[in-house]
Amino acid sequence: MAAPMELSCWGGDWGLPSLHPESLTVMAYAKFSGAPLTVNTINNSWSTPKADVPVLISEDIVISQPAKILNFLRKQRYNADYELSAKQGADTLAYIALLEEKLLPALLHTFWVEAENYCSVTKPWFASRIPFPLSLYLPGKMSREALNRILLTRGGPPLYSLTEVEAQIYRDAKECLNLLSKRLGTSQFFFGNTPTTLDAFVFGFLAPLYKVCFPRVQLQEHLKQLTNLCRFCDDILTCYFRLTVTGHSPSGQDTADANLQKLTQLVNKESNLIEKMDDNLRKSPQHPPRKITTLKLAAGGEESAPISRLSP
Amino acid sequence: LLLSAAAEPWPENAALYQQLKEDQILLSDNAASLAVQAFLQMCNLPVRVVCRANAEYMSPSGKLPFIHVGNQVVSELGPIVQFVKAKGHSLSDGLDEVQKAEMKAYMELVNNMLLTAELYLQWCDDVTVEEITHPRYGSPYPWPLNRILSYQKQWEIRRKMKAIGWAGKSLQQVLEDVDQCCQALSQRLGTQPYFFNKQPTELDALVFGHLFTILTTQLITDELSEKVKNYGNLTAFCRRIEQQYFEGHDKDSSAAASARSAKRSLLR
Repeated sequence: MAAPMELSCWGGDWGLPSLHPESLTVMAYAKFSGAPLTVNTINNSWSTPKADVPVLISEDIVISQPAKILNFLRKQRYNADYELSAKQGADTLAYIALLEEKLLPALLHTFWVEAENYCSVTKPWFASRIPFPLSLYLPGKMSREALNRILLTRGGPPLYSLTEVEAQIYRDAKECLNLLSKRLGTSQFFFGNTPTTLDAFVFGFLAPLYKVCFPRVQLQEHLKQLTNLCRFCDDILTCYFRLTVTGHSPSGQDTADANLQKLTQLVNKESNLIEKMDDNLRKSPQHPPRKITTLKLAAGGEESAPISRLSP
Repeated sequence: LLLSAAAEPWPENAALYQQLKEDQILLSDNAASLAVQAFLQMCNLPVRVVCRANAEYMSPSGKLPFIHVGNQVVSELGPIVQFVKAKGHSLSDGLDEVQKAEMKAYMELVNNMLLTAELYLQWCDDVTVEEITHPRYGSPYPWPLNRILSYQKQWEIRRKMKAIGWAGKSLQQVLEDVDQCCQALSQRLGTQPYFFNKQPTELDALVFGHLFTILTTQLITDELSEKVKNYGNLTAFCRRIEQQYFEGHDKDSSAAASARSAKRSLLR
């Protein structure tokens, strides 16, 4: 509280305060809990730390992993989970585990392993923020570590080739996104109206996926269809980071129409996804599309389109 | 492949393969095997437990346990749950979407924290490795094969621990993580009989498998089991499932037998 706290982390782009999921998680938590952090983004100078980022420095204490940093902030009485019940605290831990097991491999893959993404976006971005000659070595090392992690945790029989592993991790990631979307539903945050640790972690993982412009975007496409998750990220960006959301669609009525179109597509695609997820048998009975309670489908023309789409 | 599986009913001679119970099986594998056995008992599907020294090599994914049903071989709890579902048995059909999401999240919590902690203890804690793991893991094989296989497995597990950031943890930190996980499970369970109130699900089977094994396996110290014993509702949960699904069945049932075998300390 009295001691000033400094956070060193990777900077941002594409409307985000940081591109790095763990850095973003810590920054979001600090905003939610009102902790006064001075954020130093890593730049080309040699003085900022490069490994184990994000790093919190408070007087002489140096703390490096997000979970530990959040614990430290809580001990300093910056607690965003103050109003949670014991069960909600337990749920937080469980959902964070779900994110790490099911979403993180695909996130790492999209950023660091997918060749086009890595070469055209990730490597140049990180290399430009690391001083020469470390910039020649460090991005490559981060990429190798990401691939290593994916293969060690998810590789192995019966998946024998990298493409099979990739297919599996993207399937798992899409399922995880669907589960998060279902859990979020129509509420503003995961536990009511105030954001908590879980919101920080989900935001940290989802926002880079949502905003960064990659050439290969299959997971991003999936995420964009889950409009409540996109809305969740945008809300946090506008409310807590005071960054204007630079949308891809023009403002005003066009956006509303585009959203409505996307919603009808979402309803179809979600019901198809639910089939694939829950039924391995192809001859399962078709479920009727679920209605999203917040937005009502416009009468007439919009309704006919989804019905005709349902028949396989 | 799964279409043909669905057509056949569950056969009488379904078998579950694991390593040798007395001498070879390790904490994490025993937990996994028990979880699958509990799940099948909860679905009322009979299975007999077969112990083989080379079970790990017979498994299609290299992980245990695996079940041999008809002419299908399926390993690990996740795929087994899906396989059983394709045959028309499911424990989680009655849950709504949000509850299913919660169930999956808690299962990942158990895998992420409890299972990783068990693996850490078995393969990265030097004392445990020397005194328990190496002798047990290589016990069916002659020297030097037993040492070679043990070291190979240890190297593989340590690589994985390093990749996920657990290599730098001390034993105390790992035990704290176990405590945190047990606290979350205890808070979620509350005073209910099962995690989703009246009916057990695959989550209950998974939690039972891990907690019962931790409580009844003798290690170098009792620190791990003490962490679980701190939560009364969790020990009561294990006892309840043991009584309901494992006692009173035939003597070959693995959990009942393991509760009586000399190497394990009994649940009080």
